[in-house]
Amino acid sequence: MNNILLPIKLAWKSLFLHKGRTFLTILGIIIGIAAVIIVMSAGESIKGLVLGEFESFGSDYIQIEIKVPTTKKNSFANAGGLAQGIQITTLKNKDADDIGKLGNIKEYGGGVMGQGVASYLNENKTVNYMGSSGTILNIMGIDVASGQIYTSEDDDQLAKVVVLGSKVAEDLFGNNDPLGKNIKIGRTTFRVIGVAEEKGMSLGFNYDEMVYIPLQTAQKLLLGIDYLMFITAKVNNPDTMEATASEIEDLLRQNHEITDSKDDDFAVTTATEALEIINTVFGGMTLLLVAIAGISLLVGGVGIMNIMYVSVTERTFEIGLRKSLGAKKKQILWQFLWEAIVVTLFGGVIGVVIGVAITFLISFIASQIGFSWDFILPIQSVIIAFLFSAVVGLIFGYYPARRAAVMDPIVALRYEK
Amino acid sequence: MPENIIQVKDLKKDYVNEEVVTKVLYGLNFEIGAGEFLAIMGPSGSGKSTLMHILGFLDTPTSGQYIFKGRDVSNFDDDKLAKIRNEEVGFVFQTFNLLPKTTVYENVKLPLLYSNLGDHDNKVKEAIKSVGLLHRINNLSNQLSGGERQRVAIARALVTSPSVIFADEPTGNLDTKSGQAVMGILEELNNTGHTIILVTHEQYTAQHAIRIIKIIDGHIVSDEKVINRKSSLNGDNFLK
Repeated sequence: MNNILLPIKLAWKSLFLHKGRTFLTILGIIIGIAAVIIVMSAGESIKGLVLGEFESFGSDYIQIEIKVPTTKKNSFANAGGLAQGIQITTLKNKDADDIGKLGNIKEYGGGVMGQGVASYLNENKTVNYMGSSGTILNIMGIDVASGQIYTSEDDDQLAKVVVLGSKVAEDLFGNNDPLGKNIKIGRTTFRVIGVAEEKGMSLGFNYDEMVYIPLQTAQKLLLGIDYLMFITAKVNNPDTMEATASEIEDLLRQNHEITDSKDDDFAVTTATEALEIINTVFGGMTLLLVAIAGISLLVGGVGIMNIMYVSVTERTFEIGLRKSLGAKKKQILWQFLWEAIVVTLFGGVIGVVIGVAITFLISFIASQIGFSWDFILPIQSVIIAFLFSAVVGLIFGYYPARRAAVMDPIVALRYEK
Repeated sequence: MPENIIQVKDLKKDYVNEEVVTKVLYGLNFEIGAGEFLAIMGPSGSGKSTLMHILGFLDTPTSGQYIFKGRDVSNFDDDKLAKIRNEEVGFVFQTFNLLPKTTVYENVKLPLLYSNLGDHDNKVKEAIKSVGLLHRINNLSNQLSGGERQRVAIARALVTSPSVIFADEPTGNLDTKSGQAVMGILEELNNTGHTIILVTHEQYTAQHAIRIIKIIDGHIVSDEKVINRKSSLNGDNFLK
């Protein structure tokens, strides 16, 4: 027992003798550890935030988007292809109806997106509109605060009715009641039949800035197209969702006369897949940030090594004395190694405390300004921080400690005190 | 004739520095009996310190044999030397070599940290008591006078109950009175059976020993019993 406690006690005593220097030495470690904790914890919180928004969609739906063939199955690359002016016009209302006939599909609907200037009296506002069936609004969890959502009859009759996002309603009508009023989008006049509940942002999509129009009305009267941009389908049984997704792919390939999957002009994404993507992206991002924070730990480690070298040189006499009184190489080595480990672990403790405090402060401020930001402290971040600081102490303390261990006691004793 | 504790046979020491060989000790032969009080005398550069380092297991000979208590220790590695230093010898240095900002108690305890001897507390207190410094036990080493420091150093040398105590110019940094006191303690230790090896260049100090080996330029020039032995013992001087 004495063999373990002694070097720790010696280390503590020696570090305490040089309080100022010890503090400066561990400052680098403190910052590094705190940074690791903050980054890991904030990463978890942001992920929780995004997943929270994501899950408000529900995890039981399948999204079918148009896609430029041969691009990867991801919206950004896809958007790039579409932005180059490539029009994919093959996804039709019939595809949506065929998907709706599959066994596991509970609800479904096609949709289109567009942009236009909405105006009421003298108020103008550029808005994004979504042409969709009422079912999609249902799937997306969009409900009205007042009025009602359009029906499938409205859709079939190309009814010129809209449901306004709460922000759009506010911008165009101020305190007036928009229900029953006529607004224009482009040159077409629509009657406002509903105002959506405030829903906020989710995944870059601002519900409150949207105008919702019956699908066929948007297709024929605003966009002049006969195709869909996306189809959203809700499943009965989420457990067999992947199989349903494959069924949809086969169906669409058949409808679009595609034989090779790399010629797909559509992409089928399930909610679980999207969740996995989010997890992967955040995992990677957190790893990167932790690596950057880790660099500051390495720099801190170099600081430790530097100060340990100074300490070894300064205490050459002490080392010589201890050796002359019978200390073995290993005992001297461990005395200085423990000093390095104790100093880094001590820095680790302070770093963890500061890191947790700052993380808590961030979550507090974030929730004060309206984010649903939870204070998450991943326990592995604390463990990693501790282990890492001990390893840093061990590695960077080793060379100075070795130098102390191999000193010749006679030479060391002659060293000027 | 007491049993030999140390036997030195044709002991040589060379220092090699950038291929320049400096001969320090030229084939020394002598024996030291248990319970002896031996002074090794010689001017600076004579090789007396080198000899003491070898005898005290701080250094190894280039050739020849050093037999300690019947064991040939000439080729011991660093760790074996450290162990035998800890168990068999105690050092008293000219410059005291106490840890600064550290209490008398902690200083005396130091060799026990590296030994397997139990009951540290009693051993430390006994050693401090034997040099008459119990009242200073919790003082820091830098709060003591030179004489007191050397007495702490002696207590530290005693704490492991070693076979031999090496004293390297123990009075060199002390005033006459303190020097006398320190020599008195060494004499007393010798009287209670300790083997003492004293290294000094002062004839006066060496006169406290029973036997004097004189070294000049790495050769033993004389090895004689002391005729007019001086004593610093005068009864109640040290043990309070």
